[in-house]
Amino acid sequence: MRPLFLFVVPLFSGLTASASGFETGPQGARVLGLGGASTAYINSIAGLSTNPGLLGQWGDSLTRISIGHLSQFRRSSFIGQDTYRRTDQELTVQPGGYFYATHGVGKRVAVGLAVTMPYGYHTKWPNNWEGRSVIQESQLSTYFVQPTVGFRLNDNFSAGVGFVYAYGKYSQRRALGQYDDPAAQSKFSSSGQGYGVNVGLYGRTGETLAFGISYRSGLNLKMNNGKLTTVGVPERDDALYPSTADFKTQINLPSTLSVGVSDRITKNLLLTFDFTLSGWSSLDSLKLDVAASGTAPARRISTARRYEDALAFRVGAEYQATPKLTVLGGLRYADTPVRDEFINPEFVDANTLGASAGAVYQLGRLALEAGYAFDYGQRRTARANPVIDRVANVSGTYRTGTHMASVGVAVAF
Amino acid sequence: MNTFYLNQLGRTGLVAVATAVLNACAPGQETPTPTTSVDVSRYVAVGDSYTAGISAGGLTRASQEYSFPSLLARQFKGASREAAFTQPLLEAGTGAGFIELVDFPATGLPKTRRVAGQAVRRTIINPGTCAGPDTVRLLTRNNPSSSLPQNLGIPGLALSQIETAGLGNEASAVAGAPFNSYFERLLPPATTRTYLQAVTDVAASATFFTYFQGLDDLLPYVRSGGQCGGRYDSTAFRNQALLTMRANARKVLDRLAAGGRPGIIAKLPALTTLPLLRLGNGTALLARFSAAPGVFITVGNPFRPAQVRPITSRDYVLASVLSRVGQPTAVVVGSTTLMLPYGLDSRNPLRDADVLDETELTFVSFVLNGYNNELETLARDVYKMPVITPDGNQRALNLDVILFDQVAGLISVGGVVYSPELVRGNFFSLDYYTLTPRGNGLMANAFITAINKAYRANIPAVDVNSLPTVAQ
Repeated sequence: MRPLFLFVVPLFSGLTASASGFETGPQGARVLGLGGASTAYINSIAGLSTNPGLLGQWGDSLTRISIGHLSQFRRSSFIGQDTYRRTDQELTVQPGGYFYATHGVGKRVAVGLAVTMPYGYHTKWPNNWEGRSVIQESQLSTYFVQPTVGFRLNDNFSAGVGFVYAYGKYSQRRALGQYDDPAAQSKFSSSGQGYGVNVGLYGRTGETLAFGISYRSGLNLKMNNGKLTTVGVPERDDALYPSTADFKTQINLPSTLSVGVSDRITKNLLLTFDFTLSGWSSLDSLKLDVAASGTAPARRISTARRYEDALAFRVGAEYQATPKLTVLGGLRYADTPVRDEFINPEFVDANTLGASAGAVYQLGRLALEAGYAFDYGQRRTARANPVIDRVANVSGTYRTGTHMASVGVAVAF
Repeated sequence: MNTFYLNQLGRTGLVAVATAVLNACAPGQETPTPTTSVDVSRYVAVGDSYTAGISAGGLTRASQEYSFPSLLARQFKGASREAAFTQPLLEAGTGAGFIELVDFPATGLPKTRRVAGQAVRRTIINPGTCAGPDTVRLLTRNNPSSSLPQNLGIPGLALSQIETAGLGNEASAVAGAPFNSYFERLLPPATTRTYLQAVTDVAASATFFTYFQGLDDLLPYVRSGGQCGGRYDSTAFRNQALLTMRANARKVLDRLAAGGRPGIIAKLPALTTLPLLRLGNGTALLARFSAAPGVFITVGNPFRPAQVRPITSRDYVLASVLSRVGQPTAVVVGSTTLMLPYGLDSRNPLRDADVLDETELTFVSFVLNGYNNELETLARDVYKMPVITPDGNQRALNLDVILFDQVAGLISVGGVVYSPELVRGNFFSLDYYTLTPRGNGLMANAFITAINKAYRANIPAVDVNSLPTVAQ
């Protein structure tokens, strides 16, 4: 264990960036309470989506199912650099949920299924805010389906591999602020799918220490069915902005490399640690390729993102308070993939510090799980240069806070 | 049914409570407080058409409310609660008349029509002016006319007229006499007060000023293609015109900056940045009519016989005649009458009055540059104004650098692009010269940037995109 761990530390210490972006948080009530440090955590099958290598550990005769609901409330405030006006994002709930199932087949093999919604956001600014011509509302939702097979290599090691099918929906709308009509706006909506793999390894050294390492490939959601609708354009500009047009886009979701350790300090207390490196640098820009419509030629609306790979560090603790009640807690720090020069109100992000808490109550075969986490972001300052006329942005400062709450049940039978 | 209703109510209540709790959770940030180290509570604006709020060729109550001094004063209120600003507002409606858009064809040259103004109480036709008959429109008097407004912008007022007695007296509204109906409506009837006296009176109680005057001295010459508005082709006239502008600017500024009163002196933008000239630049025209054998203009002055030559990149066809270029007109060639495209045939060249040629532009720019240099000198040496540019050596506001040149290269403000193009550019108004309300917002922001730098102030900028795109 020790040699591996020493190898991992220099790997990450050279990186200036750390992983939040538009992850919706740990995909399970129990792992949410744990702060998401679940790469080497086998007390919830929600670890399946983080590390398929864990699956081999659930290869006994039991069938396990875990299901629950997850909601994310993400909210930013903005103060215009020159106007001094404060605008708060409207309250939105990014709904999420998860479903996991595992079943052993034979002595060394287990199969599992993970259905999660790991990436997404819902940004909604007031319709008449200062940056309305940059963005009024934007939403991304993703659904990952991951059939997985796990192998128990020996008593201490297991490995797993999963195939990821992802489906995503993206929409945004923005005002056409060059017109007097406050209702003039463009709406984009599209959906598409992508594929990836997820592989992982889990090992135990002795009775108390375990480690996990996993890699999930990046995904490319290809969206070819986009519809653009434009309203409120004066007649003289009808030819420039046809009321409907098709568009294509693609959204790259990052690869993740996770390394985790869990250590049973006492009989009742378990500590877990995770490093995650998210390959956000695959998200270079958002390009909306609008097809020709009527007399309007094809055009590309491109917004630079230039995301950086980002690192997150998470610590979790699980304490068995009574035979029926387990409480959880976690802390985490995540670097943002968003660089200073590319802060954009469509998705505001910052380096975040977060804390979480959770509880599990055992009722026979059934476990009731609940988790809550809060992340608070650093202040970010966006500076738009008006002379670069193809970049639509607003200058100002942002603060972002994110609440995540989840409830679920887990059964083993 | 009943149960459902209660459930619905219960659910609504739950959502309301949850919303209230989470609303309180928007991450806080401290909003900066607008401050200023100088008193901006009584601001006086001196200038001509731009300052008065002319937009789309006319003055209306709305265009006055979106004049750049009015927008500036609105922002001053944030920093100085007791700040007040008075303007000689017209009754709501069509005001002194303006031009409105009829159609905007692909040529980029808007089709417009003139809307008559309801505030016009009498018109006097002046048949003998250089550019043909001129209509003077007398306007309803500002109420109360006993006290002068803080916005002393007078459309059409030339610096050379600031000491003309009777400029604002209706008795002068006869053919040939100097008269300004916009000045007239500010004054009580039958007074001979000069503009300089008006400035003196208002400045006495002012705490802050802006000065942006002189464009209307040069515009008549530009608008007439060098035919009217002064004999700038004569060296003696040019030098005298420049001397007058400098001396009179000094007289006005002596009142405004008296006792070290803070303010901003703005220099004039280059004439070629105005759409009036820019749209008809020789290069642009040659590109537009690349199929024609060329574009031909008539150049000359009273001392030299007119001659016809091809247009160059340094000649400017007036925007007001651009739609006529290429239209066939009847020309007598030898003994026959031919229909030839206007300006696209050397036998049917553009008239001298339709072009501000290179030489004419040089003449008028000589005066403009000399005047701008004088303003900079006055600001630095005489009035000891603070530095307003980051590079630390400008004390008079160069609007070309901070605004007009930037717009010419396109700017994006909060996701909205502003350009010098008419109608879609949202900056210049339909008269090819003055600004739209949003253009005035950008102008006000240029002044605010300068004030914040010069006077260590924190005055918030105007949210330009929330202003209307047309004043009327």
